[in-house]
Amino acid sequence: MNNTDVEYDDKLGSKRVRVRRMTFTMRLIHWVNVVSMIVAIATGLYIAEPYYQTLIADDAVDKYVMAWNRWGHFIVAIIFDVTAIIVSYLFFFSRFEKHYLKIIPNKKNIIEFWEVFLNLILLNRRKKFDSSHNDSFNAIYFIVFHIMLAWMLFTGLQLYVHALASGDSSIGAWWPWMLHLVTDWTIPFSSWLVGTTATGGNIMDVRIVHHMSMWIIIVWVLFHIYYQIWRTIFWQEGDIAIVVGGSKFMKVGSDGNKKVEDK
Amino acid sequence: MADRIEGVKKLFTSKSARVETNMGDAHYEKLFQSCQARIEELKTQTPRENRLDIDSFLDDQGVNRRDFMKWASAVTGMLMLPSSFTPLVADAALLMNRAPVIWLELSDCAGNTEAILRSDGPKIDEILLDIISLEFNETIMAASGHQAEKQLEDAIHTFKGKYLLFVEGAIPMGLDGQYGTIGAHAETFYDHLMRISKDAAAVVAVGSCATFGGVPAASPNPTQAVGVMDVLKGKPLINIPACPANPANMVGVIIHYILTGQVPELDSLLRPKFAFGYRIHDNCERRAHFDAGEFVEEWGDHGAKHNHCLYKVGCKGPMTFNNCSIIRYNEGVNWPIGVGRGCIGCSEPDFWDKYAHERPISSVNIKAPTGGVEKTVDEFGLGLLTAASIGIGIHAVASVIAGKTENKEY
Ligand code: HEM
Ligand code: HEM
Ligand code: SF4
Ligand code: SF4
Repeated sequence: MNNTDVEYDDKLGSKRVRVRRMTFTMRLIHWVNVVSMIVAIATGLYIAEPYYQTLIADDAVDKYVMAWNRWGHFIVAIIFDVTAIIVSYLFFFSRFEKHYLKIIPNKKNIIEFWEVFLNLILLNRRKKFDSSHNDSFNAIYFIVFHIMLAWMLFTGLQLYVHALASGDSSIGAWWPWMLHLVTDWTIPFSSWLVGTTATGGNIMDVRIVHHMSMWIIIVWVLFHIYYQIWRTIFWQEGDIAIVVGGSKFMKVGSDGNKKVEDK
Repeated sequence: MADRIEGVKKLFTSKSARVETNMGDAHYEKLFQSCQARIEELKTQTPRENRLDIDSFLDDQGVNRRDFMKWASAVTGMLMLPSSFTPLVADAALLMNRAPVIWLELSDCAGNTEAILRSDGPKIDEILLDIISLEFNETIMAASGHQAEKQLEDAIHTFKGKYLLFVEGAIPMGLDGQYGTIGAHAETFYDHLMRISKDAAAVVAVGSCATFGGVPAASPNPTQAVGVMDVLKGKPLINIPACPANPANMVGVIIHYILTGQVPELDSLLRPKFAFGYRIHDNCERRAHFDAGEFVEEWGDHGAKHNHCLYKVGCKGPMTFNNCSIIRYNEGVNWPIGVGRGCIGCSEPDFWDKYAHERPISSVNIKAPTGGVEKTVDEFGLGLLTAASIGIGIHAVASVIAGKTENKEY
C-alpha cells in the first residue's frame, strides 16, 4: 500500500489514519451484487417450488407470476454476468488494489492468512498483522464467493439453454451454441457430485446442484456479514464503513499495524 | 483412455439437443436422389418369407390409402424431411418387411414389446411394427427352448451384417452377469448381447432400461444394471428411451434406416434428434398456466379441474426431452399430461431416482453426495445454515466474553 491511500484525519488525532479501501465502482458492484443475490434467491426458490398461492384471484389479464419470477431471475443472472466480468477484470488490472497479489501462496500471504484466522478463532486476543489493507484471509474468502458465483452462472446458463432446444434464439444461433460449448461440462460434473446410477448425465443433476449451491452461498453471505460486523466491533477500525464510504480507520502502530510517518 | 478423450471431445463438440430443421435445398436434393435409388433397389429384392403384401394387409386392418398417405406425410414431418419426401416415406413403409429385425429382451418388463403389439385399435405405426420382418422375439414367437435358439442362429446366419438388433432391457453386470441368463446354456445377458450384436448392421436400444439402465439401474442398483451404450462399443447405436418407447419413434428409426441406409442424427445421449430434440415443457398445452403461476396444488382441487399446470405435483416437463407432447400415444389420442398427471421424465437418464416423484425436485428426498441419509436440498441447506448460525452464535458470545475479560486499552 502506498501512502497516497492514507489520509490523516485531524479530528481523530494522530493515532488513527483513514485508509481508502474500496473505490466507488467497487462499492457500487458490491451493493448491486447484494440486491441481485436477494432477488436471485427469492425468485429461484419460487421457480423451484412456487411458494405463494396464486389462485387467490380469478384468472386475470396480466397474470404472469411464474413468468415474472423467471424473468427476474434471468435479469439478475445477466447482472451477475456483467459484474462478474468487471470484477474479474478488476481482480487483475485494478489500479487500486490488486487482489491477486493477496492470493498467491507465498510465505508472506500464508502467514498473513494464518494470523487473520488465528485472530478470528482466538477471539481477537491475538492480532499480529496489518489490518489497513485487504488481508489474505478475506481475499481468499472473496475468491471462494466468486468461484461459487461463476458456478451458479455456468449451471444456471446450462438450465437456461435447454429452453432454446431449437438451437436458435432471438439473437441468433451463436448464443445457444456458445452456451452449450461453455456449460455442457456442468452436466457430468453435477452428476458426479450428486451421484448417479445411470449412464449419461442428466439436467436434473445440474438443477439439484444449482439449488444446493444456493444454500452454500447463503451460508457464505451469513458468515461474511457476521465477520464484517465482528471486525467493526472488535478491531474498532470502522471496517463496515469500507463498503459504504470506501474507507476505514487504521490504528497506527498498534495491534500489528504498521507505523505511518507523520505528515 | 482413448475412450475418455473421445468422450470429452464429444462433450464439447456435441450440439446436445439442438435440432436442425432446415439443411438447405442442395442437401435435400442430394438426399432425395440417394433415397430414391435405395428404395428402387430394395423394391427389386424379395423379402425372405414374402409373408404378406403390406398394402392389402393395411387394407384388411381398415386403413385406406388416404389414411396411409396422411400418416406418411406426418412421418415425413416427424423425420424433419421436406414434404416432397412423402412418397418415398410411403414406399419405405411398404418395404418395412425387407428390414430383418432381431429383438432381444434382457432385464425388462416387456413393456416395449407390449407397446408395439397394442391390439386395441392399432395405429399404422403399430401395424407396421407387426409386419416388420421380426425374425426373433422371445415374447411373441411361437418357438421356444432349443427351437427358439435354433431360429436365432438361423436369423443371425442368414442376415449377417444386415439385421437391425433391437434391445429391450438393461444388462446386469453384478456377479459376473449371473443376475440374468438366458437359454439352456445359461448364457449371461451380457454375453448374449455381445454375441448377437456382433453381426448386426446397427443396434437400437428401445426403452429407458436398454438406453440408460432405467428401473433395474435405479438406486441402489443391486444387480449393477447398465444400458447398452455402456457395454457396446464400435457399433452404430441408436437410443430410443421412454417408458415405453413410443412406437412412432421406432417406426421412424426403421423407416429412416430403410430410406437412407443410415442412422438418423443423434444428440449427445445418442437419441434421434427428430424425436428427442423437443422439450416436453415447450410443447405442453398447460404451459400458459405455468407462466401464469396457476398450479394444481393437490389432486382433485380447483386447479386440477381447470387443467392448470402440474409442476407443483411433480411434473418434470421442464427437464425432459421427448416428442410425446407432440405425437402423443395410442393413435395420438392423448399423453400423460393431457390426462392430468405430470411428466416423470421417462426419457432421461436416472429418471426413476430423479424425476419420477409427485413433487418438484427440490422437495424430493435425494441421497446426499456422501450417500447415507436422504434429504431434500432445502433440508440440506437449512441444516447447513443452522450449523453455521450456531457456530456464529457461539463465536459471537465467546467474543463478547473474551472482549470483557481482556479489557484492552486503545
Ligand atoms: C448478498 C450479500 C453479499 C455479498 C454477495 C457480498 C459480497 C462481497 C464481496 C465479493 C466483497 C469483496 C469485494 C471486493 O473486495 O471487491 C465484499 C466486501 C465487503 N462486504 Fe459484502 N457482500 C454481501 C453483503 C454484505 C453486507 C450486508 C455487508 C454489510 C454489513 C457487507 C459488508 C462488506 C464489507 C465491509 C466489505 C469489505 C471487506 C474488506 O474489504 O475487508 N457485505 N462483499
Ligand atoms: C447466484 C445466484 C443464483 C441463485 C441463488 C439461484 C437460485 C436458483 C434456484 C433456487 C433455482 C431453483 C432450482 C430448483 O428447481 O431446484 C434456480 C433455477 C434456475 N436458475 Fe438460478 N440461481 C442463481 C443464479 C442463476 C444464474 C446466473 C442463472 C443463469 C441464467 C440462473 C438460471 C436458472 C435457471 C434457468 C433455473 C431453472 C428455471 C426453470 O427451469 O424454469 N440462475 N436458481
Ligand atoms: S404441466 Fe409440466 S410440461 Fe406442462 S407446463 Fe406445467 S411443468 Fe411444463
Ligand atoms: S410425459 Fe414425460 S414421462 Fe410421460 S411419456 Fe412423455 S416423456 Fe415420458
